[in-house]
Amino acid sequence: MHERIDELLAEARAELSQAGSDAALEAWRVAHLGRRSALTGILRSIRDLPSEERRAAGQAANAARQALEEALAAHRDRLSRPADETGADVTMPGYPVRLGRLHPLTRTLREIRAVFAPLGFRAVSGPEVEWDRYNFELLNIPADHPARDMWDTFHLQQQARPGDLLLRTHTSPVQARVMEQVRPPVRVIVPGKVYRYENRDASHESEFMQVEGLAIDERITMADLRGTLTHFVRAMFGPDRDLRIRASYFPFTEPSAEAEMSCHACDGSGCSVCGGSGWIEILGAGMVHPTVLANVGYDPEVYQGFAFGMGVERIAMLKYGVTDIRSFYRNDLRFLRQFH
Amino acid sequence: MRVPFEWLCELAGVGAPVDQVAQRLTDAGFEVAEIHRAGEHWDRVVVGEVVRIDPHPNADRLNLPTVTTGESELQVVCGAWNFNVGDKIAFAHEGARLWDAYSDEPRLKELKPTKIRGVVSRGMLCSNRELGLSDDHEGILILEPDAPVGRPLTEILGDEVIEFELKANRPDALSVLGIAREAAALFGADVRSPIPPARAGDGEPWPTVELEIDDPALCARYSAAFVRDVQVAESPAWLRKRLELAGMRPINTIVDVTNYVMLETGQPLHAFDWETIRGGLIGVRTARPGERLVTLDGQDRELTGETLCIVDGEGPVALAGVMGGLATEVTDATSTVLLESATFDPVSIRRTAHRLALRSEASRRFEKGLPPELTEPALRRCVQFIEEIGAGCGEFLSADAYPAPSRPEPVALHFDRIERLMGLAYERAEVRRALEALAFTVTESGDLLHVQPPFWRRDVTTPADVVEEVARLLGYDRIPNTLPTGGVTDVVPGELDPRDDELRDVMIGLGFTECVTYALTSEARLARLVSPDLLDADSDTPLGDAETWEVIHGSAMNDAGRALTDRLLPLHREPLQIRNPLSSDESTLRLTGLATMLETLRANRRHTDRDLLLFECQPTFLPREDDLPDEPLLLTAVIGERLSAGRWDETATVELPFVRGIVDEVLARSGVDLSTVSHDEVVHPTFAAGQAAAATQGRLALAAYGAIEPAVAAAYDLDERAWALLVDVGALREASAGPPSFTAWSEYPAALRDLAVVVDEGVTQAEVLETIQRAGRPLLASVRMFDEYRGEQIAAGKRSLAYALSYAAPDRTLTDKQADKAHNRVVRALQHRLGAELRG
Repeated sequence: MHERIDELLAEARAELSQAGSDAALEAWRVAHLGRRSALTGILRSIRDLPSEERRAAGQAANAARQALEEALAAHRDRLSRPADETGADVTMPGYPVRLGRLHPLTRTLREIRAVFAPLGFRAVSGPEVEWDRYNFELLNIPADHPARDMWDTFHLQQQARPGDLLLRTHTSPVQARVMEQVRPPVRVIVPGKVYRYENRDASHESEFMQVEGLAIDERITMADLRGTLTHFVRAMFGPDRDLRIRASYFPFTEPSAEAEMSCHACDGSGCSVCGGSGWIEILGAGMVHPTVLANVGYDPEVYQGFAFGMGVERIAMLKYGVTDIRSFYRNDLRFLRQFH
Repeated sequence: MRVPFEWLCELAGVGAPVDQVAQRLTDAGFEVAEIHRAGEHWDRVVVGEVVRIDPHPNADRLNLPTVTTGESELQVVCGAWNFNVGDKIAFAHEGARLWDAYSDEPRLKELKPTKIRGVVSRGMLCSNRELGLSDDHEGILILEPDAPVGRPLTEILGDEVIEFELKANRPDALSVLGIAREAAALFGADVRSPIPPARAGDGEPWPTVELEIDDPALCARYSAAFVRDVQVAESPAWLRKRLELAGMRPINTIVDVTNYVMLETGQPLHAFDWETIRGGLIGVRTARPGERLVTLDGQDRELTGETLCIVDGEGPVALAGVMGGLATEVTDATSTVLLESATFDPVSIRRTAHRLALRSEASRRFEKGLPPELTEPALRRCVQFIEEIGAGCGEFLSADAYPAPSRPEPVALHFDRIERLMGLAYERAEVRRALEALAFTVTESGDLLHVQPPFWRRDVTTPADVVEEVARLLGYDRIPNTLPTGGVTDVVPGELDPRDDELRDVMIGLGFTECVTYALTSEARLARLVSPDLLDADSDTPLGDAETWEVIHGSAMNDAGRALTDRLLPLHREPLQIRNPLSSDESTLRLTGLATMLETLRANRRHTDRDLLLFECQPTFLPREDDLPDEPLLLTAVIGERLSAGRWDETATVELPFVRGIVDEVLARSGVDLSTVSHDEVVHPTFAAGQAAAATQGRLALAAYGAIEPAVAAAYDLDERAWALLVDVGALREASAGPPSFTAWSEYPAALRDLAVVVDEGVTQAEVLETIQRAGRPLLASVRMFDEYRGEQIAAGKRSLAYALSYAAPDRTLTDKQADKAHNRVVRALQHRLGAELRG
């Protein structure tokens, strides 16, 4: 009996899938669920069965009848829908979704901040229009010092007391601002826009971003500087990077250093990115000059520490293969959309 | 500074190859910018002799020299005429690589066999430029008469030149001797000083000169020496070659030697024609009112009171340290020369050189501060050199004024200071060796080191300076990698607000792409933000004058517009001006980001026709009296007319409620309770009439948004509607209710009622909504507007607004009766307060 029911079910289902019109559906209904159908015949014959079999057979036959009715309804529903909804072409393009992009400089700044944050460096900002005092004097660059030639400066027309106003040429004035207000230990990084009186070309901008770093305590050494910078280049450019530092000069650090990283494009064997040398200049750094410490009221006999400064565009150019620094300020969507 | 490598090796006693020397010096802080290799490409260039010159049969401007290279005679076609038979020249065989003299970019070109106007040319006579020696392409290079015919040119002209990018702290490094000292220290060699020892006078009668220094602060020392029987002529070839390699033009024996000694020792020297000096006196003082001087470049200059001058018995004869005077210049007729070797105040020289835009090799050195001890040795070297080349004979020192002699102070430091600063332990002996290699004198007393710098190292004044000398000489590559230990600060003023990051992320999520535009703009560019018919087009500062703003204030704004102007779009303020702008387009600091953002919108519209949603979050600059400007952080967003909507190519046009939706989301995500914010129509010349609003919370202007006035958009070359949104990020922070706090909602089913009311056009949606919210208390859980209708079914001058209301109680299920009662209260209030009619 049960086998017979299963056979009927399978047969009916197979036929149903062939039915393509309302008339065919009706014919199918009459054939499989009508009064003269085999299933109805089975239901009628149940009462002739021995009483102990009746119950199970009845349940099976009724379940089969219900399954066929549901299959009929579902198939009828499918037939009634328009042709294009019968099955999606899953390769169709999606409808436009609008989601913006962060500017690559913001993205790079966030990456840099994320490297230094776990080392305890807090990110601070400062004014872009500065006093000469903060941009130069407190940083051991007195008026008429030849070192001023290292920074071509935009000066403001407006006269103000207590000094000349200028567009900051580096983020270093924030070093002095922070140290004036906080007692050591100090660990900060300073991201921000800086300005140079300099004609633009593919590798020079008159407005660009820097990140300054400063760590002051009683025992912070040049080795700590080197270790911190090594950690930075590896976090930004991969664990195989090496850092090398060489002697340099900045008025606000002593000793001063220029840091280079082994080229990430050729692993140090020499290529067009590193100009064949295998090394890429990446930032300037040094131990904060005792005069700078004294200028902000720190005792240079007690406190010492390091400072560094890097160009954010340069990091972004190296990281993303951008070849013209001006691209960052043209804000062309064809450029900006590439930084997912 | 360009240093011929051969010269450097001669003084340093170093025999290492140029690349190695350059690398070691770079690592020690003497950064090498480039190594120029003269002759690097000269493998097919030899010394030739012109044996015959024939005319070119087909061209008057060309000739046909025949050149012998010893082995063969070759005829070439040549366009230069500056040579004669018998001249020695640089001859390039076919296949030689020469610099293309007619290309703007430096480019090597291979010399190919060629026929010029019908005559075969079998090689080429080279110019300086073709050989890469200088930019000179006026005629070919004539070699010395004794140049050996047939020999490779590299043997007589080739050299390597290291170009250094020197730092401001090392005046001593602006000399071949200074760099040689470093190289010798790094390679463990001994410096071979070119300075001759002092010598006694020769008993001959010499002229005398009286020296007068007005202010020792401006001139620490003035030394002078006489040279007589002067032969002013062309200098020997090797001397001219060195000068040229170092980047200086040879002039004559006397001038060349003074320049050579300056390059070698770092001490600038000046030669006066003694016959032209009046009164037997040389003085140093600042200029007096009305004094003038014709300088070597022929310019008649009026001297200001700050200018330090060299004077004779009657008046100025030179600008001290900057440029000599024409009248006292050494000429072919000069027979007696007075050589000046002096120390001038760096600040004074720097100011004069800047003021007159005359920055010479001499002034560059004085500006960095030269040691007074250097004047006298440099004179000795100079006089000896002049004698050596037979250009005269002289006294090593004829007069010397050094009113207040000084020496560098010794520096005392504890030995362990080095380790404390560097994080690296050095051996005491190696520290001593390093310092002594750099000519420092070291004496030890217990743990204390007394370090006496040599006279040329006045930059070393503190223990940290000494530590740097040790560290760089022993190599920075020895410094280990460690991480800082110890404490970190808890709170730092000026810390970045993490909410600024979140705000950017919210904008990204809303579909906006972030921009960073320049802060430097111009008043003309800012003025485009105001409809041109309100501006005085001829004015240089179209926005700057009060009268214009009176007109705009009076007629073109309402209160909301004025409030917007004051805070978010302060075009009436005078922007900060740059004293030395790069261009007139970048002469002021911006008052708003809107101008540059509309420019950016326009630039992108050229290639993208939809979904232009751009923003930036950068400061603007508002001047303050006697203080730094206010730099409020402003969010500026611009939106193009068309947006993708629905299926692939479907677009929708931006309308004001679209922008309002963005404003609401920005405010809500910043923690502002939207029910505390009111939106009022803005009348402002930047925005289109009836299409702009300002969002305020009490007195705080949070945001302004709307369509850009079509005439303003047209000024930005946009021929379609543009939208903008300005948010004062600082005000947003003030308006925020703080971190989120949870409020429970009713768990009981809500009773839903829809409502459509017809109101006069004068009634705002905000009034309808507020009336509903007030009357619906306390059971009204939410209300949402879902339709606006104007048209046939309702009277003219009216519109219908439809709302979905939901009533609920926190503690029970409302009965229909209770919900109806509350809803009826809302309906009655609308009828009563706003004259609304219930629709449908």
